[in-house]
Amino acid sequence: MSHRDHKLSGKFPRRHFLRGLGASIALPAFASLSGTKLFASEQAANVAVTASGAPLRTAFVYFPNGAIPSSWWPAQTGKDFTLTGTLEPLQKLKNQLQIFGGLDQENAEPGSDGAGDHARGNSVFLTGVRLQKSSTDVRAGISIDQEIARQVGDQTMLPSLELSSDTERPSGNCDSGYACAYQHNVSWKSATTPMPPERNPRLVFERLFGAGSPGERAANLARRRAGQRSILDFVMEDARQMESRLAAQDREKLDQYLTGVREIEERLQRAERMAAAKDPGIEAPTGVSQNFGEHVGITFDMMLLAFQTDLTRVATMMLAHDGSNRSFDHIGIAEGHHDLTHHRNEEQRIQKVAQIDRWYVGQFANFLERLQNTPDVDGKSLLDNSMIVYGSGNADGNRHTHSNLPIILAGGGGGTLNPGRHVNHGSQPLCDLFLSLADRMGVSNLERFGDSTGRLKDV
Amino acid sequence: MTGLLSKFPWFFSCRLLYNQRSTQLDNHVGLMHPPRLAVSLIMLHSKYFTSLLLGQPSRRWLGPLPQVCAGLLLLTSILAPAFAAEENSLEQFRKNIEPILVEKCYDCHGNGMEEGSVAFDGFASQEELVENPQLWWRALRMVRAGMMPPVEMTPLTAEEKQTLETWIKRSAFHGDPNNPDPGHVTLRRLNRNEYRNTIRDLIGVEYDTQNDFPQDDSGHGFDNIGSVLTVSPLLLEKYLAAARTIIGQAVPLASKMTPEKKLTGIEFLPEGADSNNEANSNNEERGPRWLSYYEPGWVSHRVKVEHPGRYQLQVNLSADEKFVDDEFDYNKCRLNFSVDGMSKLSEEFSRQGHKPYQFSYDVDWQPGEHELIFELTPLTPDEKQIRSLTIRIKEVIVRGPFGDEHGVPVPNYAKFFPREVPENIEDRRVYAHERLEKFATRAYRRPVDDETVNRLVALAEVTSSHPGNTFEAGIAEAMTAILASPRFLFREEAALAPTADSTYPFLDDYSLAARLSYFLWSTMPDEELSRLAAEGRLRENLPAQFERMFNDPRSEQFIRHFVGQWLRARDIESVVINGSEVVQRDAAPDPAAQKMRKRFRALLMKPREELTEAERKEFAEVRRRFRRQRERFERFDLDGELRRAMRRETELVFETILREDRPLTELLESDYTFLNEKLAEHYGVAGVTGDEMRLVKLPADNPRGGILTQGTVLAVTSNPDRTSPVKRGLFVLDNILGTPPPPPPPNIPLLEDAGNEQQRQSFTVREALALHREAPLCSSCHNRMDPLGLALERFNALGMWRETDHGKPIDSAGALITGEEFTDIKELKRVLVANHRQEFYRCLTEKLLTYALGRGIEYHDTETVDAIAAQLEATDGRPSALLKGIVGSAAFQKSRPLQTAIESATIDSAASDASTTKTASAAHATSAGRP
Repeated sequence: MSHRDHKLSGKFPRRHFLRGLGASIALPAFASLSGTKLFASEQAANVAVTASGAPLRTAFVYFPNGAIPSSWWPAQTGKDFTLTGTLEPLQKLKNQLQIFGGLDQENAEPGSDGAGDHARGNSVFLTGVRLQKSSTDVRAGISIDQEIARQVGDQTMLPSLELSSDTERPSGNCDSGYACAYQHNVSWKSATTPMPPERNPRLVFERLFGAGSPGERAANLARRRAGQRSILDFVMEDARQMESRLAAQDREKLDQYLTGVREIEERLQRAERMAAAKDPGIEAPTGVSQNFGEHVGITFDMMLLAFQTDLTRVATMMLAHDGSNRSFDHIGIAEGHHDLTHHRNEEQRIQKVAQIDRWYVGQFANFLERLQNTPDVDGKSLLDNSMIVYGSGNADGNRHTHSNLPIILAGGGGGTLNPGRHVNHGSQPLCDLFLSLADRMGVSNLERFGDSTGRLKDV
Repeated sequence: MTGLLSKFPWFFSCRLLYNQRSTQLDNHVGLMHPPRLAVSLIMLHSKYFTSLLLGQPSRRWLGPLPQVCAGLLLLTSILAPAFAAEENSLEQFRKNIEPILVEKCYDCHGNGMEEGSVAFDGFASQEELVENPQLWWRALRMVRAGMMPPVEMTPLTAEEKQTLETWIKRSAFHGDPNNPDPGHVTLRRLNRNEYRNTIRDLIGVEYDTQNDFPQDDSGHGFDNIGSVLTVSPLLLEKYLAAARTIIGQAVPLASKMTPEKKLTGIEFLPEGADSNNEANSNNEERGPRWLSYYEPGWVSHRVKVEHPGRYQLQVNLSADEKFVDDEFDYNKCRLNFSVDGMSKLSEEFSRQGHKPYQFSYDVDWQPGEHELIFELTPLTPDEKQIRSLTIRIKEVIVRGPFGDEHGVPVPNYAKFFPREVPENIEDRRVYAHERLEKFATRAYRRPVDDETVNRLVALAEVTSSHPGNTFEAGIAEAMTAILASPRFLFREEAALAPTADSTYPFLDDYSLAARLSYFLWSTMPDEELSRLAAEGRLRENLPAQFERMFNDPRSEQFIRHFVGQWLRARDIESVVINGSEVVQRDAAPDPAAQKMRKRFRALLMKPREELTEAERKEFAEVRRRFRRQRERFERFDLDGELRRAMRRETELVFETILREDRPLTELLESDYTFLNEKLAEHYGVAGVTGDEMRLVKLPADNPRGGILTQGTVLAVTSNPDRTSPVKRGLFVLDNILGTPPPPPPPNIPLLEDAGNEQQRQSFTVREALALHREAPLCSSCHNRMDPLGLALERFNALGMWRETDHGKPIDSAGALITGEEFTDIKELKRVLVANHRQEFYRCLTEKLLTYALGRGIEYHDTETVDAIAAQLEATDGRPSALLKGIVGSAAFQKSRPLQTAIESATIDSAASDASTTKTASAAHATSAGRP
């Protein structure tokens, strides 16, 4: 994008709607968005908070179809390494992140389940469990973001935020006998309830700050909440009445409904307890851009805003679902991404896939840069006080492998992480990393997660 | 159609008839041994049941009843010997089935062999083997699809096949055709489409669920499957917000309102336009008015008011553009809005991507005319004009004069409040009770109990007691709660009391009404259906009601959503196909163009700051050439109109066959289709002019006609840059023949390594696939898939006819695994109709049953599907037989009773076992615990 940067100042309205803003409004004013309540309120001990009292956030960013291994991995390990090839866009952020090799999701391997590596790659990624192979009987497991949100979610207005920049879903069957829910969700509230991500940035924005013009939004949000309690009481009673008449399988559906009701009730309580988030004072994004890069950028911006205003501390984002066959014509690649990943060892095709991988990494790098340039309440950057995992549930998209997954952990974790390294962990469950992150988020009593064998020590 | 649908007997009457006949039969076959009798009865019943169940809309369906009976008895006596008397399923298995398995299957599935993890002799006991309906269901499907035994092995004889099929259906499935298991449909929530339609019919509001709700999960190829439609916390939040928005839009909070007049953009006329003429000619289309950023111009409207007073003007605009990928438009303009010469708005606009704007102004007006003017001034005359930037003047709403004395009746007030609100508190309560009971009954699609209505009234009273709130506001609040209730959002069903003979009970009329309306209309039952249900007379009026519903325009929903998903016609609107690339690849490769692309990508990979001045220039040049090249082929891109035309083609062909009760095989092969000028041109069919889709009779040598050669199917099964014969072949197996191959093995060896890289560059897809098939691991499935897909190679990824691929001629000849040879797609269509009709009938029946029920097909549905498919064969594939077969089936009409407490406890514990970690299941239990 930088080849057009000279246009940014004068003639580039809302290319990236927040980036444009960053250029036109001085950042300090923007920094005042950050909540101050942390210092004022009685924090539960060490829950999603850094040593300096700032919120600690964690996010999981999913990219589809793995990455060409030879272009991904840096040649050197340790602190002295260079990011070339696919990871080159991250070179200037090198000291803010860790490249982790040797992390596996064994339950995404076929085992006796046969084909379906894209469905598995997608939904095993954050759950670490074996998926029930079925078009109907959907059973995964709770995902790590939801496990964390379950314990730290009451610190913020929204326990978690699920985002996506994927296309509309096609109809028909999904991957090899797996229900479509697996391939289109990374976040799972329970084994049977996926958390579908929001792909329209305008709706995300309105969910965070309310609908309408900047001046009206807070009032609109408050109005929406007023009177909600009596409605919740009513529907709860209706649900109880209904439940007694239902078969067991059906009760599960109603349970999902009731979980949602309870979550909204809790949010109402929090709304009374907490100060309202500051309105960013900018226009809401208009919707889903037809330009993919713009869509991705604005969606990342939504996550940044939610973190900055401390509306949530847990987020997931799907750049696209595993198996995505998007075409990248804007970087000279007319073929479909998934189609290309089965590259028949043709150098041309391999290179094209690597370029797509790199394009995705580039979008992530832009996001990290913005996190780094945004000061947090404690004077450090948002990136310092975050732990952002970037990865895919497939390692080599051509062969559908699920070991040595491409994983990046960005951010300082409020001083608890040791960034600026390329570490090969040999062969450890990815879930071990998740446990280490959960610990830092203040999650307690989580002995095991997915197929974990312990904590990943060297992070 | 009218005639056809009107006089068939339906389920209820069928059963009566059956009972009478079976009594006669008991006498007739009284000499047979009981088990044999049972088998005979089953056989007889299954045929008989079906014919009756499906009805006799035409003489062609069946002969006179006595003949049929005779025929069926004959059939029974032929088949019955396969199962001698006094044998249970295990004995039958040992005697009739095991020998077949040993001879034809054990080479791979016995004696220590365990292909596909199946060993028939690998069970702890034969009882366990026999009591394994899922295994036998798989076996039945494999045998029927011709996948087992594999081609290289000795095939089953027709008799063996029949014996096996019969035993599986009767014994292994424990099927009781006299009382078929209707299965269980998991509690279904409304999907996005059903929600939108239901809200429209319930309350008259168009709510954009497509945009506002997260996407529905689908299973078995459809998005209305109860078990996979989940409710996430996000969705619940959306439901609550939607309920409030919808009620806010629909329900008036007072009986009077400030007068309001809407001036649409088109009513603002440019200088010199004859207001009378234009206003009249545009009476029909009261749309917006666009002003270009690039040209100065103004439009005006004179509004006349009668009363002096305070008015409010609300201006609704948006800044529109035509999207151009990766190129921006830096033009700006200034828009002025003035009232009676006073400027109210003067604002600068740049490119804003369809962003809406709203401005409000208060004015004090005297009676008479007032002039409103929009004036646009371009600010950047030298900028390149790329995106057709426009200001879209949607409307100006003139509100006023304000003040109670000017209030006018709210237009739809009477719809919600037919009487004046009583003064007295008790009367008010009665009125509230009446209004809310009525609304809740419709919204819940069944009667509501008094206790619920009392809760609603209490909720309404609390709300209206707040200062400033009206009685109406209270009712609106309670209605909001109704729309948020699970009883609205889920489709709860109830069954009639079980009958004395312990057969599966029928669904009650309310459930049946909802099943019908959501099946055919994707919406709630209308008044007539609800009334019949309330009177308990729906079932007896089913034929007439079905016919009425089918002929109602709302059944367009069924066509759109069923075809949209079965044939994936929906996806054509969003599938990414790179038109210029596809067309270029049909021709011989252009090395210069390929080199240029490669260079472009190489430059793109370099960090911008590292580019030399020369490279920068080169980059700009390559970009420019690219764009030029793309422009040359731009006309091949699938634009919105063409995509819509394709979708309509698929829908219209299906709809025509259905409405005119034409043979369903015309879906595979026909000499007509639906086209408009644009689509005809795309297909290379001459002589079609104009935008509207119409029936076009195709020339004899034209390859089109039938779904396989429609743009929808051809494009949605392609990659962005090229065709995919594998995906196309898979589509046919999956959706036409109903015999999907097993998924590919997880770790596909790199077969494509065969051949050197240079060869591969210029391979046609056929050549590449031929290499692929050389591997035995791949051949068994690809021999089935590839010929089907390769027969369609004459159609590129855009669905256009082509002569060459990579400049080489295309060979579309091939042979099916069943042996039939064909030279082109026309011959393949013939083969499919002539030899594979029955698979097609069964496949379509399964798809439609899935869609109608909202659940996947189970082994116990085999009998129903077979019966309907047989009926289709007997009627030359009449859609009426299919639809009536579905609606008349036990699966559609009956219900499996609630599980006992013990059974549900087992299921619950199984469910938590499935969450793999202890902690996760604990979390599940906590979050999903009951209140």
